[in-house]
Amino acid sequence: MIAVDAITRRFGSVVAADRVTFRVNRNEIVGFVGPNGAGKSTILKILATFILPTSGRATVDGIEVTAAPLAVRRRIGYLPGDTPLYRQMRGEPFLRFVGAAHGLRGEDLEAGLARVVQAFGLQPALHQRIDRCSTGFRQRFGLAAALIHDPPVLLLDEPTHGFDPLQVVEFRQLLRQLRHGRAILFSTHIIPDVEAVSDRVLVINRGRILGDGSLDELRQTLERPRASLEELFAHLVRATERDE
Amino acid sequence: MPLWRSFSPTLYGPPNVMSDSQHRPAGIYASGVRLIATRELAAYFDSPVACIYAAVFLVLSCGTYMNTFFLAGVIDLSPYFDALPFFLIPFAPAITMGMWAQEHAQNTVELVLTLPLTPGQVVLGKFTAALVFYGLVLAGSLPLVIMLAWLGQPDPGPIVTGYIGALLTGALFLAFGLFASGLTRDQIVAFVLAGLLGFIFVVSGHDQVVAVMDGLAPARQIGTWLYDSISIMPHYQAFGRGVVGLTHTLYFFLMTGFFLWMNQLTVQRIRY
Repeated sequence: MIAVDAITRRFGSVVAADRVTFRVNRNEIVGFVGPNGAGKSTILKILATFILPTSGRATVDGIEVTAAPLAVRRRIGYLPGDTPLYRQMRGEPFLRFVGAAHGLRGEDLEAGLARVVQAFGLQPALHQRIDRCSTGFRQRFGLAAALIHDPPVLLLDEPTHGFDPLQVVEFRQLLRQLRHGRAILFSTHIIPDVEAVSDRVLVINRGRILGDGSLDELRQTLERPRASLEELFAHLVRATERDE
Repeated sequence: MPLWRSFSPTLYGPPNVMSDSQHRPAGIYASGVRLIATRELAAYFDSPVACIYAAVFLVLSCGTYMNTFFLAGVIDLSPYFDALPFFLIPFAPAITMGMWAQEHAQNTVELVLTLPLTPGQVVLGKFTAALVFYGLVLAGSLPLVIMLAWLGQPDPGPIVTGYIGALLTGALFLAFGLFASGLTRDQIVAFVLAGLLGFIFVVSGHDQVVAVMDGLAPARQIGTWLYDSISIMPHYQAFGRGVVGLTHTLYFFLMTGFFLWMNQLTVQRIRY
């Protein structure tokens, strides 16, 4: 459902993504891990059609992101990093606004709203101004906005930011439920999140994909059969930094 | 212990995706514009700041007129319209300064530009909201018309065309403001830039300024060129005289359209 082929993105002289290639299939959750500034958010922004790649090709559900950005946006649920929200709005009007922008009207909008309110436990904060909600609730509003139109592709940038440990566990369960029929790509710094829910891991540093596979595949490739994902990640990142 | 403390185990089935032909939001361009406009307009009324701007604008513009009215004692609203562009120089940028600058500062620009809406719909939506808000504030001066009608028999023609001119001039100032707001993430910078644009477009229509500018470079006649080519005043003043000329109306439509188009370009530039 997500196909990225040799995507490069430059910001002036900085290469944020360097010939990045990977796939995310339907019914698959892929975790995107890398240090700060590795290029994770850049790739997600390209897939969400917020920025254009300098070169290369990316498709979402068979649609090229540069050719038909509106059609791509209808198929994705995107949670940008730092969860930007209209903070002066109240929760319910905000979700209705996002739902309506995605084409939901009448019963469809009510059903979408009811579903995300229940899924993310938003009822207590639904009528509060978003800027007066806790960080966890703000994050939940961001996720609810990404899911209100029930998209087949989810692009989530640091989705568990601001959650307490129990909410993290709950969110992982929700992600597992969401897997059916969907392709989910999420970026995170939190390795246990990736280990817990991902079918596959993409390790990225300095704009380049260093590893792509399940945990077992990465262990085999790196010949470290007992290594944890944290160790594999550290090994890959250090190895590339030594090479450079 | 129940696992779902805050999240509920809503069973998500496979996604129910609407086909492109079923999809309605951007199917009708105006519905996307209306959606953005409604959100922006609600944001104005959520904040006391916009209402304070509106009150200050009304008090200053109507107060200045009342002063002239008592001194001259003439049943005529043209002094109100004559002074209006000067009040718009700070007022219109105050309405628009946050429209893009705040989106950039809070990064909600990433949210709105990844919704299935075109940049054109977002720009027009914001512009519509600002214009409706300005229209409501302008309507706050209607008691002046009622007062004149009660005291005497004012000529209704120039009053009606004066309001049309005031609305078109306001629209152009708002387009300046949106354009300036799209260039920066700092609302103060946006305010100053838009104010400067408005100031240039207004003062370039004043005889003294034209004379001084012409005097600086007599061979080039810069003042006359600015007056003829960009100044608002000759077009705006025609409305105040009761004339709704095609040239004057076209000037406002084209200039407003140009700055909105420029704003759309600055928004699209974010992707590169």
